Amino acid sequence: MKFLFSLLVLFVFINGCSTTKKNKNLAESIQLDVEELKLDNGMTALLVNNSKLPIFSLYFFYKVGGKNEVPGITGASHFLEHMMFKGAKKYGKNTIDFIIEGSGGSTNAYTTNDSTVYYENLPSSELVQILDIEADRMENLALDPEDFNKERAVVLEERKMRYENSPKGQLYQLLMENLFTGTPYGRSVIGDIPDLKSVTREQIHAYFKRFYAPNNVVLVIVGDINTKKAKDIIREKFGKIKSSPSVIEAHAELKEEAFQVSLKEQKVIKRKGESPSPIFMLAYPTYKAGHQKGFALDVLSSILGSGKSSTLINEYILVSRPVATSMYAAHQQLEKNGFFFIGGELVRGIKLDDFRLDLQKKLKSYCETEITERNIQKIKNNYLVDLYSGLDTNAGLAQFIGDRQWLYGDWRFYKQELLMYEKVKVSDVKELCHETFSKNGVFVSVWDKHK
Amino acid sequence: MKYLWICLLVMTSAYAKDGFLSSVKRMNWNIGKEELEVVWIEDNKFPKFTASIFFQDGAISDPISGITQTVFDQLSAGTSRENQREISEFFDFYGANLRHSVTHEYSIFTVQALTKDIKPVMGKVCELFKDAQFPQNELNSHISRSKSQLKNLVTSHSSLADRVFRRITFKDTPYASPVEGTLEGLNQITQIKLKTRLEYLNKTKKVLYLAGPSDIYEIEDVLSKNCSWSNANKAERYEIKKPLPESAIYLVEVPSANQAQIRVGRYLTSNEFVGKFDHFSFMSSFLGGGFTSKLVQELRVKRGLTYSAGAYVSMQRDYGRVGIVTFSKNETAAETISLIRDVLSDVASGKFEEKEFIHQKNHVVGGFAFGFEETSAFLGQIMLYDHQKRDLSQLVNFPQVISNMTMSELGRVDMEAFPWEKLSIVVVGDKSLVKSLSRIRPVRLVKYEDYL
Repeated sequence: MKFLFSLLVLFVFINGCSTTKKNKNLAESIQLDVEELKLDNGMTALLVNNSKLPIFSLYFFYKVGGKNEVPGITGASHFLEHMMFKGAKKYGKNTIDFIIEGSGGSTNAYTTNDSTVYYENLPSSELVQILDIEADRMENLALDPEDFNKERAVVLEERKMRYENSPKGQLYQLLMENLFTGTPYGRSVIGDIPDLKSVTREQIHAYFKRFYAPNNVVLVIVGDINTKKAKDIIREKFGKIKSSPSVIEAHAELKEEAFQVSLKEQKVIKRKGESPSPIFMLAYPTYKAGHQKGFALDVLSSILGSGKSSTLINEYILVSRPVATSMYAAHQQLEKNGFFFIGGELVRGIKLDDFRLDLQKKLKSYCETEITERNIQKIKNNYLVDLYSGLDTNAGLAQFIGDRQWLYGDWRFYKQELLMYEKVKVSDVKELCHETFSKNGVFVSVWDKHK
Repeated sequence: MKYLWICLLVMTSAYAKDGFLSSVKRMNWNIGKEELEVVWIEDNKFPKFTASIFFQDGAISDPISGITQTVFDQLSAGTSRENQREISEFFDFYGANLRHSVTHEYSIFTVQALTKDIKPVMGKVCELFKDAQFPQNELNSHISRSKSQLKNLVTSHSSLADRVFRRITFKDTPYASPVEGTLEGLNQITQIKLKTRLEYLNKTKKVLYLAGPSDIYEIEDVLSKNCSWSNANKAERYEIKKPLPESAIYLVEVPSANQAQIRVGRYLTSNEFVGKFDHFSFMSSFLGGGFTSKLVQELRVKRGLTYSAGAYVSMQRDYGRVGIVTFSKNETAAETISLIRDVLSDVASGKFEEKEFIHQKNHVVGGFAFGFEETSAFLGQIMLYDHQKRDLSQLVNFPQVISNMTMSELGRVDMEAFPWEKLSIVVVGDKSLVKSLSRIRPVRLVKYEDYL
């Protein structure tokens, strides 16, 4: 019987990796059987068969996000994401959600600085229908004026929820504004209120026509599909859609230099907000996604802030007199630039300025005391476990290969990533640690005691 | 459409019966002098395993508010041989993920790690349950952090609304006390009380739920040599017998909010849902389970009043809850509540279209297979069914039960679950909302600090 419980045929072969011994050639131990399709109009599709269950996950990665907007239309990418569910020519007003959910599926989307991603999880019988829907809305989005104005109100409510009534949302926005001042990453992805109130249907339509085209998207399908048939359907549904010449220009216009930041001095920004305890983030500019140095910075962030045994947790939280109730560190890599950040929430009564100075001093000292062979091996072990967890579902695998395809132009980039992680040495992390914490950073905080 | 539905029904039922249920194995292991019930789902996808220890007791029997949660939070804070950092270092080095979940009726401690590390990881887990010392300095630090987090809850209006809603709807029952504890409870927790509580949990009836390759059999040996568990204690039970609380809107004042968080709902007694689990689940899906659900359509799609709206039903063994969760800007908070009332009333009186009903059936039945995609999610379903004393055959029959459900049954369940005059309403927002909300019901202005 087709649906018998069986081994997952994701073609993920594991060579008995060991966490206590050094992993042997991790990059070669994970083999993904991905079939590729490239259409004449520039569209890329990646397909993986997994017949364990009669379901599949489908992802569309559009290479457009907050960074592609200009002042006056901030929030356009996200607003458009909402409108994509409102109907197109063939699948009219308010029908897309009904078709997807009516078959037992689910759908959603998200917008980042660099991308807008749509995804669906569906029973395998629905492949033709969903590809027909996706092709229809890629080519003929309706942008109905009545829906447009209703959705404007919904976006404004979402903004209130995520930012205006959320001190943590305010903090993140404050950081991006001040770290990436003057660059496209300094703008709000959800949009500034005046722009959201004034943006017109025509502006969003022009934005759509420019960026929603087959040569600006990566389609990934993972699950119970016949890959040969799926390719035929993709050719039929998307092959006739014209590519957008202007999208190539749009990407070319965004020069790398426009995203670089150079902080002449450290910035300390305080904002009054409804947080009875101070919440903070300290960030330093780093490197864009895929940069070789980024892997060592990932390891550094995990040593400092991931897991109960990490440095910052033990320094500030798990002590007899805790200074903070939460601490974290991460390395965020965007397409054109990156940043290393540390954040947390302080215990009431702790002096924020004293804490900041103490933290910055200690960060430099950690470069010598915390970066050890054992710590690096620990992070690599954790990376392996996280990798398995990430590939556990159709959606997880689709996102894994899709992210690499739209960001680096090749889903196989994961092999290089794994090799890079394997090669990270104590000296690499130490060097990057000193380099990062010697730079000027941005320290932002939100607190109800701020003026 | 009908054809699609029949296909989905046949496919999902056959799949569940022939596919997953046959992969569930039940056995008993000898752990010392006691037998331990074990449920195993064989999963050879990756060389990793999941072990969930299900304790058949939770916060309901907390002698001090939040103590069971604190026991689990502080389990790895130190043993007589190792301090917190050494223990954390051990688990982190192996990439082992420990997590716990405490509800009022049960507690689950879950370990995930690579199968080749089963012995050291599970051995260390046993050591924690056998020898956790709850060192005073670590405990002080934990309590201090927990209190600080609670006092800072006002930064998350949504979390604050959830907390106040529980405390109000379950007032005068043990379920009113939040699992994570109150400020008052946290102040009373001591090292000795934690040890006593851990001793109680070690003697509480447990079931071990496992997922992974056959290597997991190694766990039996590790547990029998290292864990001192027994099944001596019977889980405490509490049935709510008090009437539903008086009808009012509780406005929790938070400064400068330009958006109101809204919660509407009540508690359920087991008499209300036993035998109707699937009908209640379908009703919550119909009302607020997806973009095409009734509430999302009415509140968001047709009127743009909110970004999200959802309905939920939670059914444990002795009690349950039904609720509606949404938010809206201050100016439309009252309108949103009135619309919720209208939707509930329309559904109860059968004022909905057959196509909406069929659509939701397709949604629920078609989505059935997704509950099996992640083994850990499937394991979670089995735990809940076992706890509710439901046979797993009911899981297989779920699509059939939904397919047989009628529109009038949906209306009846909605009417039973959401009798408008008996529902508690909690709004977290600005004080200025009093005027508009008063047009719906009497408003009681409350301080959030009183619910911490």
